[in-house]
Amino acid sequence: MRKAMVLFASLFVATAWASSESSEGHGEGHEPSTPEYILHHVSDSNDFELEVPLGKPIHLGAIPPIRVGSCEPKMTDHGPQIPGLGEGCLDLSITKHTVMMWLAALLLLGTVLIWSNRDKTKLVPRGAGANLIEMLVLFVRDEMAIKNIGKEDGPRYVPYLLTAFFFILFMNLLGLVPWMATATGNLAVTAGLAICTFLVTQAAGIRAAGLGGYLKHLTGGVHPLLWPIMIPVEVLGLFTKPFALTMRLFANMLAGHIVLFFLLGLIFILGHPGVAVVSVPFAFAIYLLELFVAFVQAYVFTLLSALFIGMAVATGHHHDDHGHGEQGHGHAEGGAGHDHGKAHA
Amino acid sequence: MFLPSVLAASSLVSVQPGLIFWTLVTFVIVFFVLRSKAWGPILQLVEEREKQISAAIESAKRERAEAEKLLADQKTAIAEARRQAAEETRRNQQEMEKFREELMAKSRKEAEELKVSARREIDEQKAKAIAEVRAMAVDLAMEVAGKLVNERMDDSKHRALAEQFVQGLPLSGSGNAGVRRSA
Repeated sequence: MRKAMVLFASLFVATAWASSESSEGHGEGHEPSTPEYILHHVSDSNDFELEVPLGKPIHLGAIPPIRVGSCEPKMTDHGPQIPGLGEGCLDLSITKHTVMMWLAALLLLGTVLIWSNRDKTKLVPRGAGANLIEMLVLFVRDEMAIKNIGKEDGPRYVPYLLTAFFFILFMNLLGLVPWMATATGNLAVTAGLAICTFLVTQAAGIRAAGLGGYLKHLTGGVHPLLWPIMIPVEVLGLFTKPFALTMRLFANMLAGHIVLFFLLGLIFILGHPGVAVVSVPFAFAIYLLELFVAFVQAYVFTLLSALFIGMAVATGHHHDDHGHGEQGHGHAEGGAGHDHGKAHA
Repeated sequence: MFLPSVLAASSLVSVQPGLIFWTLVTFVIVFFVLRSKAWGPILQLVEEREKQISAAIESAKRERAEAEKLLADQKTAIAEARRQAAEETRRNQQEMEKFREELMAKSRKEAEELKVSARREIDEQKAKAIAEVRAMAVDLAMEVAGKLVNERMDDSKHRALAEQFVQGLPLSGSGNAGVRRSA
């Protein structure tokens, strides 16, 4: 392992040396500055290019844009511009991050369908793949769904939580593979995922409390005179949760990659290959940290989703406690609801 | 150099609605495929396994309790059998003792009876013999006396005399001696 690290670092140093020389040689061409390069790398684009070490990126071409609605380009001061969604144009272009997301989805489907043990005649999983998948499935079910949503309603939301966890995990990890990009480092992708959680949470709330109970919960259970204050607060509360999910995942994934690139970029910014001795090991450490963060962020997103669903379900049980006959069950759920209520407050 | 690129990076925080759309579509497809093909079966399998394990534990507990009960039953049965056997032996011994005593008593009685009857027989025979001996003694005495006297004695007179003499003899051994002496 240590040998591998030394090899890795020396390789990077050599690369840095060579590229600094080459950049000195071809300095007069349009070379993007380091921050530009990094921001170009982490942001989405319609262009598909293969970055070549020590050379110029190879352009693989672009998928023609797909636009739905009235999308005549308008001439503005800054040149022709595509109108936004507000003006009735939906840009459905397949971008780099879309492709990465699909790739992650395909990898996820392939991994789970090939390696998971789904043979009912074999109740015990065999092999690392089947055991790992089952361990994660059991972890999501027991530690997230059942702990936060409850024994009664938890299992219903396990497939959603599992899909969210694995999908995010695969997108995060795919971003750490060379030449790939992090789809979860794009605000639109994380917003889409948060919208899924938002919809599931609201559905869980309506399912548990009924539409009446759900709307009643939005009033916060206070005197009608206070409703004009309470309802906006509650509605705002509904949207802050998915917003927090969106920003957390996006910022974490993006920040990690930017830090990683800046550490390596220091070599070019400071212009001396010796910097590599410091920055490459740092970058390597950050890379390992990023591997950890990939898991942690998938875990956090799923855990918070489970928590939000649990809160929605608990408010439902809070409102119609009498609906449940079993004393013990009602009591336990009531206790959980109380806790969640506190957390919410 | 830095600020303009950061401003250019505002593309980072701009949200493309198209990508949200594609995310939703992808997520929903992945969700439904995985739910029907993977999560459902895996969760069912896990539940089945949990059920089987808990059932196995339950049945093991039940069987152990049953085995313990059976063992206790057997232990009490063995103790009972042992006790019964001891009882039986004791009773047998008692019976044997009684039987032996009875047998002994019976045989003793029989022996006693035999002895009594033998004695009676002996007495009878002795009496008979004595009577016979007496009769013979009278005859012998008369014959001896007749020869000695060389004279025929009056039968009835002398017979009475001899009988008187014999009558005077003692009954048993001394009687015999008397007979011998008189002879």
